[in-house]
Amino acid sequence: MKLEVEVRVKRPSGFGLDASLHCDTDALGVVGPSGSGKSTLLDAIAGLERGARVALDGVDLSGVPTARRELGYVSQDPILFPHLSVRGNLRYSPRAGPIDGVASALKIDHLLDRMPRHLSGGERRRVALARALASRPRLLLLDEPFAGLDETRRRDALSLLDEVRRRLSVPIILVSHRSDEIVALTDWSIRLEDGKVDASGPSASLLRRSETLVDNFLSGVVHAPGRVLLDGTDGIELSAMLPEGVRGEVRLACYAHDVMLATTEPRDLSARNVLPVTVSQILGEGDLLLIEVESPRLRVLVTRDAAETLGLRVGLRAHAILKATSIVYLGAS
Amino acid sequence: MSSIPLSLTVAVTAAVLSLPPAVAAAWYIERTKLPGRDALKTLILLPLVLPPVVVGYLLLRVFSPRGALGALLDRAGAPVAFHWLGAVVAAAVVGFPLFVMAVGQAMQAVDPRYEAVSKILGRSSWSTFFRVTLPLSWPGIVAGALLALARGLGEFGATIVVAGRIPGETETISLKIYAELDAPGGEARIAGLVAASVALCLVCVVASRYLERWYRSRLELER
Repeated sequence: MKLEVEVRVKRPSGFGLDASLHCDTDALGVVGPSGSGKSTLLDAIAGLERGARVALDGVDLSGVPTARRELGYVSQDPILFPHLSVRGNLRYSPRAGPIDGVASALKIDHLLDRMPRHLSGGERRRVALARALASRPRLLLLDEPFAGLDETRRRDALSLLDEVRRRLSVPIILVSHRSDEIVALTDWSIRLEDGKVDASGPSASLLRRSETLVDNFLSGVVHAPGRVLLDGTDGIELSAMLPEGVRGEVRLACYAHDVMLATTEPRDLSARNVLPVTVSQILGEGDLLLIEVESPRLRVLVTRDAAETLGLRVGLRAHAILKATSIVYLGAS
Repeated sequence: MSSIPLSLTVAVTAAVLSLPPAVAAAWYIERTKLPGRDALKTLILLPLVLPPVVVGYLLLRVFSPRGALGALLDRAGAPVAFHWLGAVVAAAVVGFPLFVMAVGQAMQAVDPRYEAVSKILGRSSWSTFFRVTLPLSWPGIVAGALLALARGLGEFGATIVVAGRIPGETETISLKIYAELDAPGGEARIAGLVAASVALCLVCVVASRYLERWYRSRLELER
C-alpha cells in the first residue's frame, strides 16, 4: 500500500496538525505522546477532517466523501450501534459480504443474535473489528484498539488481529502508545510530536531509538519446543513460553524491569534463563538507572542503590536473569 | 364536537403535522455545519417569547382569505382562518419551539462517533440519518411531540385570533373555559374542564419526562 497524506489542521484551542507523510508499507505504526495528533491523522485519512490531502495507492481521495473511501476504523471504544444486533452491526456496511468467515475468525459466531448491551468488553471489541473487516476495507485504521484490556486479553487480541489481517491481507495503520504492539503489528512507523512528524523508520529501530527505553526486543530461531537460539549471540539459548506449534524465526520482548542482574552466577533459581553478559552502558540519573548489557542486548532497570551495592560499571561481566514467563511472544519474523 | 375531544384532535393533529419539520429543523441545527443555523434557531424560538396574540395576528395576516396563501387554501377546501384547521396551525406554531428543542436535545445525546462510524462503513449522510440518528433519538422525538401536544392543548391567545370561538368547531378547552367565565352557572362546567385540562397536560409532561430519562440511561448503558 502506498500512502500519501498531507494534513494541515488548526483548532481554535491552539492544537494543530501539520504533517506530511509518504510511505509504502502494509502496516504503518503511529506513535507519539497524547495530544500529538495521532487520532486527528486517522480522522484526516478517513475524511472526517477538512484540509487534508490523501492519496492511497496513487488514487487521490481528497475530494472523496468518507462513505466512499472504503476504509475500516476500530477504536479503543467499540462504538457498536446499540439498536442493532451483532449480525445487524456486521451487515451494516453496504459493502459487507458474507459475514460467516469473519465471525468465525474472530470467534463471535455464537454471538450473532445478541444485542451489544449483552456483550462483554472483549466481545464488543471483537465485534467492532469484525464489523470493520466485514466491510472489506482497502485500509484498516486502528486507534489504540487494545487500550484498557488487561495483559492476557491484550496479548490474545494482538495475536488474533495479527493473524486475521494477514489472512485477509488488509493493510493497517495502527495508533498505539505501546511499543510492543507497534513492533508486533507494523513494519514502518512514524512518530508524531506536537502535530508534526518528527521521526520515521522501521518500527523496531524507530522505537528502540526514541520511544521507550523500558522494553527489550529479541529475535531468534526456535530449535526445540520453548527454546530459542538468540540472534547476534554466540549460541545463547532462551527458554520462553511460546504458543504451541511455533517454529522458525520469532520475535520476543520483555520489560526492562523484569530483568535482574547478578555479579556472580546464581544457582538453584526458578528463573529459566541466566545469561552471561557484559555491562555496556549505564543510563539515567536519579533513583532509577537503565543498565544496558550485551549480548544479547538487554536493558535492565535497577535502583541506584542496587547498582552501587553491586558495583556496576561499564565492562563488568555479570549475569542477566530472565524468567521464561516474563518473555512476551510478539510473533513470527 | 365538544371541547375536550376537539382540543385533543387539534393538539394531536398539530403535533403530527409538526413532526417532520421539527425533526428536519433539529437535524439541521444540531447535526450539520450548514449556514443559517443560528438564524433558524432564533426564528423557531420566537413563538416561545412572542405574545400569543401577536402570533395569532401574524398567522391571521398570512392565512386570511384575502391574502394569496389564504385564498389558495380556501379554494383547495382547507380554509385556515376561523376554521378548526386554524386552531391546528396556532397550536403547531406555538408548540414548535418546544418540539424542536426536545428533538435537538435527543440528537445532541447521540454520540457523533456513531455517525462517523456509519459513514466510514460506507453509508451516506442521508442513510446515516435514517439508520442511526433517527433510531437513536426517537424517544426524544416522541418526548418532544408530547410536549408540543401539551402546549397545544392549552393554547388560547393565538387560537382565538386565528380560529375565533365557534362552539363545536373551534371552541377548544381553553376557549370554552373563557366563555364559561361569564355564563350563569358556568363554575361547575369550568371545574370539569380545568380538571380535564390538568389531567391531559400532566399525562403528556410526565410521559415525556419518563421517556427522556429512560432513554438517557439506555444510551449510557450501551455506550
